[in-house]
Amino acid sequence: MSSINIEKSAEKGINDLLRHLLGNGKVDAVLAMRMVKSSGAWDLALVTDVKNLAELSPLAPVMTVNASQVLSNLSLSGKKIAAVLKPCELRGFVERVKREQGSLENLITISHTCGGVFPLDLVVEGSVDDLLHKYEKVVATGEIPSNIRDTCKACEHFIPMNADITIAAAGECKPGHGCMIYINSDKAKEALLECTGHHGNDLLDPISLEKLAAARAKEREKLFSSIEKDCSGLDGLVNIFGKCVGCHGCSRVCPICYCTLCDFESANFDYNLPYFEEHLARKGALRLPPDTMLFHMGRLTHMSFSCVGCGMCSDVCPVSIPVAAVFSRTGAKTASIFDYVPGRDVAEEIPVMIFKEEEFPELG
Amino acid sequence: MKNKKNTVLVLGAGIAGIQASLDLAEMGVEVHLIEGTPTIGGRMPQLDKTFPTNDCSMCILSPKMSECARHPLITIHIKSTLEEISGEPGAFTCRVIEQAKYVDPVKCVSCGLCEAKCPVKIDDEFDVGLRKTKAISRYFLQSIPSEYTINPSHCLYLTKGVCKLCEKVCPTGAINYDDKDREIEISAGAVILATGIDPFNPLGFGQYGYHRYPNVVTSLEFERMLSASGPLGGHVVRASDDKPPKKIAFLQCIGSRDEGIDRNYCSSACCMFAIKQSIIAKEHSKDLDASIFYMDIRAFGKDFDKYYDKAENHYGVKFKRSKIADIVELPDGSLDLKYTFENGDIQHEVFDLVVLSIGLQPRTGSRKLADKLDIRLNKFGFCHSDTFTPQETTRQGVFVCGAMNNPKDIPESVVSASGAVAGAVKFLNLGRHDISTGEEEIIEKDVSGERPRVGVFVCHCGINIAGVVDVKNVAEMAKDLKNVEHSEDVMYACSTDCLELIKERIEEHGLNRVVVAACTPRTHEPLFRDTISGAGLNPYLFEMANIRDQCSWAHMNEPELATEKSKDLVEMAVGKARNLTPLKRLPIAIDPEALVVGGGLAGMTCALAIADAGHQVFMVEKESSLGGNMKDIFFNLDGSDPQQFLAETIRKVEDHPEIRVFLNSTIEDIAGYVGNFRTMFTNGSGQQEELTHGVVVVATGGSEHKTTEYLYDESSRVITQKEFERMLQEEKFPPGKLREVVFVQCVGSREEGRMYCSRVCCSKAVKNARQLQSKKSRANIYFAYRDIRTYGFSEQYYSELRNSGALFFRYTPDNKPEVEKVHPDDPESRVRVTLFDPVLEKDVVIEADLVVLATAIDPPEENLKLAKMLKIPLNSDGLFLEAHVKLRPVDFATDGIFVCGLAHSPKDMSESIAQAKAAGSRALTFLKKNSILAEGTIAEVRTDRCSGCGYCEDVCAYAAIEIDPEEGVAVINDALCKGCGACVASCRCGALDLRGFTNEQLFSVFDALEIDAVEGIV
Amino acid sequence: MNKEFTPRITSFLCKWCSYTGADLAGTSRLQYSTSIIPLQVMCSSRVDPVFLLKAYLSGSDGVLMGGCHPGDCHYETGNYHTRRRFALVKEVFDSLGLESARLKLSWISASEGPKFARVANEYTEEIRKLGENPTRKSIFL
Repeated sequence: MSSINIEKSAEKGINDLLRHLLGNGKVDAVLAMRMVKSSGAWDLALVTDVKNLAELSPLAPVMTVNASQVLSNLSLSGKKIAAVLKPCELRGFVERVKREQGSLENLITISHTCGGVFPLDLVVEGSVDDLLHKYEKVVATGEIPSNIRDTCKACEHFIPMNADITIAAAGECKPGHGCMIYINSDKAKEALLECTGHHGNDLLDPISLEKLAAARAKEREKLFSSIEKDCSGLDGLVNIFGKCVGCHGCSRVCPICYCTLCDFESANFDYNLPYFEEHLARKGALRLPPDTMLFHMGRLTHMSFSCVGCGMCSDVCPVSIPVAAVFSRTGAKTASIFDYVPGRDVAEEIPVMIFKEEEFPELG
Repeated sequence: MKNKKNTVLVLGAGIAGIQASLDLAEMGVEVHLIEGTPTIGGRMPQLDKTFPTNDCSMCILSPKMSECARHPLITIHIKSTLEEISGEPGAFTCRVIEQAKYVDPVKCVSCGLCEAKCPVKIDDEFDVGLRKTKAISRYFLQSIPSEYTINPSHCLYLTKGVCKLCEKVCPTGAINYDDKDREIEISAGAVILATGIDPFNPLGFGQYGYHRYPNVVTSLEFERMLSASGPLGGHVVRASDDKPPKKIAFLQCIGSRDEGIDRNYCSSACCMFAIKQSIIAKEHSKDLDASIFYMDIRAFGKDFDKYYDKAENHYGVKFKRSKIADIVELPDGSLDLKYTFENGDIQHEVFDLVVLSIGLQPRTGSRKLADKLDIRLNKFGFCHSDTFTPQETTRQGVFVCGAMNNPKDIPESVVSASGAVAGAVKFLNLGRHDISTGEEEIIEKDVSGERPRVGVFVCHCGINIAGVVDVKNVAEMAKDLKNVEHSEDVMYACSTDCLELIKERIEEHGLNRVVVAACTPRTHEPLFRDTISGAGLNPYLFEMANIRDQCSWAHMNEPELATEKSKDLVEMAVGKARNLTPLKRLPIAIDPEALVVGGGLAGMTCALAIADAGHQVFMVEKESSLGGNMKDIFFNLDGSDPQQFLAETIRKVEDHPEIRVFLNSTIEDIAGYVGNFRTMFTNGSGQQEELTHGVVVVATGGSEHKTTEYLYDESSRVITQKEFERMLQEEKFPPGKLREVVFVQCVGSREEGRMYCSRVCCSKAVKNARQLQSKKSRANIYFAYRDIRTYGFSEQYYSELRNSGALFFRYTPDNKPEVEKVHPDDPESRVRVTLFDPVLEKDVVIEADLVVLATAIDPPEENLKLAKMLKIPLNSDGLFLEAHVKLRPVDFATDGIFVCGLAHSPKDMSESIAQAKAAGSRALTFLKKNSILAEGTIAEVRTDRCSGCGYCEDVCAYAAIEIDPEEGVAVINDALCKGCGACVASCRCGALDLRGFTNEQLFSVFDALEIDAVEGIV
Repeated sequence: MNKEFTPRITSFLCKWCSYTGADLAGTSRLQYSTSIIPLQVMCSSRVDPVFLLKAYLSGSDGVLMGGCHPGDCHYETGNYHTRRRFALVKEVFDSLGLESARLKLSWISASEGPKFARVANEYTEEIRKLGENPTRKSIFL
């Protein structure tokens, strides 16, 4: 629609933008990443006072939680919130909205072309200044940093879909060219009317990001082929999921796993002593915890087509199962049979809630 | 009239008779259903598929058949005839003869050993002679009742005194050669006749070569050939050489539209029947070449034209408008068809198979029946009825439905059946009733907190199961299963003795769950449920293992494997039974009032049907007067007076103490569900009012399409049929003599944007043309048409019009008639109409004094709003979409909402009346109950687990689930839930479950499937 | 694979069409393999994808889903949902390199007794070719 150029770095530009929104009462709060200086810890902060804005690092390549999870309840509070989201967080949020777990109504979503995030274990180890500095340099040129999450390297959707405001960061952020802010909705346009900076009619040009897209595609292939061997039958799956300790951390951090209580943790799968006795009698053996494979396969049928590939699941897995790789690989396939792209459009219906009268003629 | 009997006799158990019986029984009326053949079902079971949805005929019918057989208020008399009706309406005495069956239905277990042994082979009537059956048989495999009967005219013992083989093999001693015909008397308040039709028999019409040439078959024979359960197993082959035909010709109007043989009527269904068969045949074999030879394609019903279009353009069926001149058989059995196109061109074409699309005719013996029952038939031999009272015979208290009074398709038969019920109800004395099974209530044992104590009964079914499966072994195995308290094998689980035994065992062993391993739950589950109910157990604490129909009968040569499978099935059943819980069918109170939306003919007729049965009706009409479209109808083809009838109807409605009419009123919101609706509307004075009611009838009508074609906007000489009819009535014609009048058909219909036939326009145009002839007899009449669709008895008026000299020119959508003004500047100028004459193959130019456009019927725009409020669907044309196009034509999938009149689809006055009465009748099946019972097997929500995501709400086809906006969790409406479980399987959070089929129950079945010991953990 | 191997095919049959069709096969005395272990459900749409997984992982050599033909569903649209969910599970299987041929969806109407018998036999043969499901005798997690 239109654009604003602020002659500062992207990081400073976005701070100006947030200051404008919060300072002029366009929003009641701002949600963005923050580093807690005293401890070096990271969190998502909800800031309601302009003077605290300086603490935020909205573009930091860190994801402690997929923000869409946190945003669900916040978005229903009735307060106007400007949320700085990574593209996968925004897509995750759109998926959640489709499932009645949040609303876009009171939000101004701000997202950016994303260079990927660091695995959590990397950023919680002491000072990150050096890491960040290198990251920014690499990302600005459209290269892929070597130390980000595997799924980030392989992410094809690093350009935000349907953000109210898009900031040029990864790939398009040319040093010295200032901070480019692209305005994509009427809501954003109205909020930014008096925002200082050079107002123009530039559009984010995906062509300029082609190089990055190509590199990502390559990485994607590499990631998927790294698990290809194990995605070839029961034995392979045991290689992957054999280590699973059944903590279900992957589903807890998943933006798509919105369920109040996961079905696999419900009474349906909560076996009692007589059950174990009977199984022991039948099969002569038992494996505990039970149903680990069922859990992962079940989750694939529950949410894979909506997987946004944020990589949280892999990041939290205590036994380093490449959960995100498996889920985004299968997810790409399950989404494609329904011609579905998770997070593309809030009006696009979830494939298992609808049907076409004539489809899948090969079945039945 | 205190002598009124709340009993109705229904003659004929085809789909119409079944529907009438079910409607009556649901209103609390006792029904005697009299059927001549040994089964209920009529013609539908013979059909493979039904148009225009290609639904499997048996799939949709069999639930209705079982429901009919199970209903405590319906008594079925098979092999029976109605001999006489005496007495007065309201208190008839009916003399019925029940023919001997020679098999005791109580003892017969339908095992079929008798049929296997019977030495007498006779032509199978059900399979129209394409297969043989025996002298002792069932009419067809899925007959209801399922017991066998002996055909006395073929049985060797009954005819010649020898044989008795069936008696020897019968394991239960059910054969009774001494059985006698019995005469019974039934007192009934009213009688409904539904004896149906016979297919036209082309034998004796030599030109078609039927029976002379083996590869000429009737459409009914072809239907059986197509059927998967038919004599050919669905693999169509020619009788002459058993080869699959590659080229099939369908010849239309065999025995229809034929003045020469006294059948100057259209059979109404055969065009669609042939289209359906050509599609199914093409689906069987992709490269099949199918041609339909026809005069007019009469695809006049809802969604029929789309089906026709699909046949032609998607399946590549060829439609050839031509006359068949000759059929000659070639040496290889193929048939050389000589046919003439309308331009006179003659063609020859060779086909492998010729299907005669035979018409429908009155049943043999209908004249005799009419005499016995003292009713009049029309000139074609169908039961006579008047336009305004389509279901009334000439005898008061005796009603007619189905194809007995005119040829009709299945949904119209169903409509007429429900319509006849509305008439019959007036002769009864019906109050509201509580649902009861007719038996005294037994106090149910509370089994909560008890550990499961399962009783297992394994049935031998004579040798049906025990001949293959080691029944004793199965029963023995079951003893070791967890929670099994008792297990035994029994000879016939369904025998009265055994049912008593099961009750005793429940007492003796304190059983609180019962498993019977026997035949199929489809037929026997209700019986066993009743039995354990009788012993004080909740009927849902029962599970069946199907070890006969799906085991011993299917694995007759593998006794050991069949025994193993039986054990698995029993173990699965025990697994499920262990986790069964008592279910309750909760009562849902029904408000006795009805809301009728729309005050046209349909709305008023429906309101009267409901109000006459003693129920308050609220009628909301948006306009300032009642009458709707009928206000513009002044003539009928049969000479009856619509305006007089309309005036009478309006007066009845306005004077009726039970009807409150709200004119100039708009509905703002309808909330609630069956039995408990709440409607807000703005009344004539602009105020909001609220109504509460138990049902809703949608009768919003339709309107004439506003066209801009054919200079309609520009010339006063181009008018619509509606305007023309008023002109005829008022005799105010345009200046000058009317010498040339052109009728243009299908204006706006059957083309892009309105891919449907408006159904009434052909008959209406014929009617008005005849009316014109009677007033200005010298006008020349021209018709520009695509197909003339004067179906049913209207055909005779069409042929009369043709014979009177009216000229008919067929046009195609790409070559429409052209209309221009003779004097462009003169507003009253005559218009020049250019028509292409396909006979002469050149243009014909007419300087017309009047052009009359048959414009389409549009659904009203407010349908969309109403559809949203009621959560009911519209089809792609904006017409309300009923629950099932064949068998539930006035219901919606959502209970308690009904549709009639043009809101459903274009139809004529008589059809609207029939449908309105049907909707009234269907509404009364609810209103006559104080409460209905929700299903026991319904979904339930565990709100603590629900995330309110709404998957379930979207998936539910019955609008039975909503996300509560306050709580953010799913709420199930017990009254609307049908228990399919689609929502349960959609639920990600495990918050939903289906009672009677819970996850826990099904999981325990899976556990029973784990049989192998583990050799390793991977 | 030896000829004696009798697969175990867990068969979810909807009450109104496929189960009735299976009954008709029996009433017509059509013979088919004992491998078919029928399990009646009200509608094929009751079958949660997880049931398919559970049946597969607990030792079924094949899983058969029988429903009404598209458009014929006794519950209006249930089988359309079934078809989507089935497509989904099949895709999950394929993506993990599992034998999706161990899952089969078939539309069998109430009058298609012969089709039921044919499907039962053909599918049994297909499963025989695949051999025993390893989950029968090993616990895969």
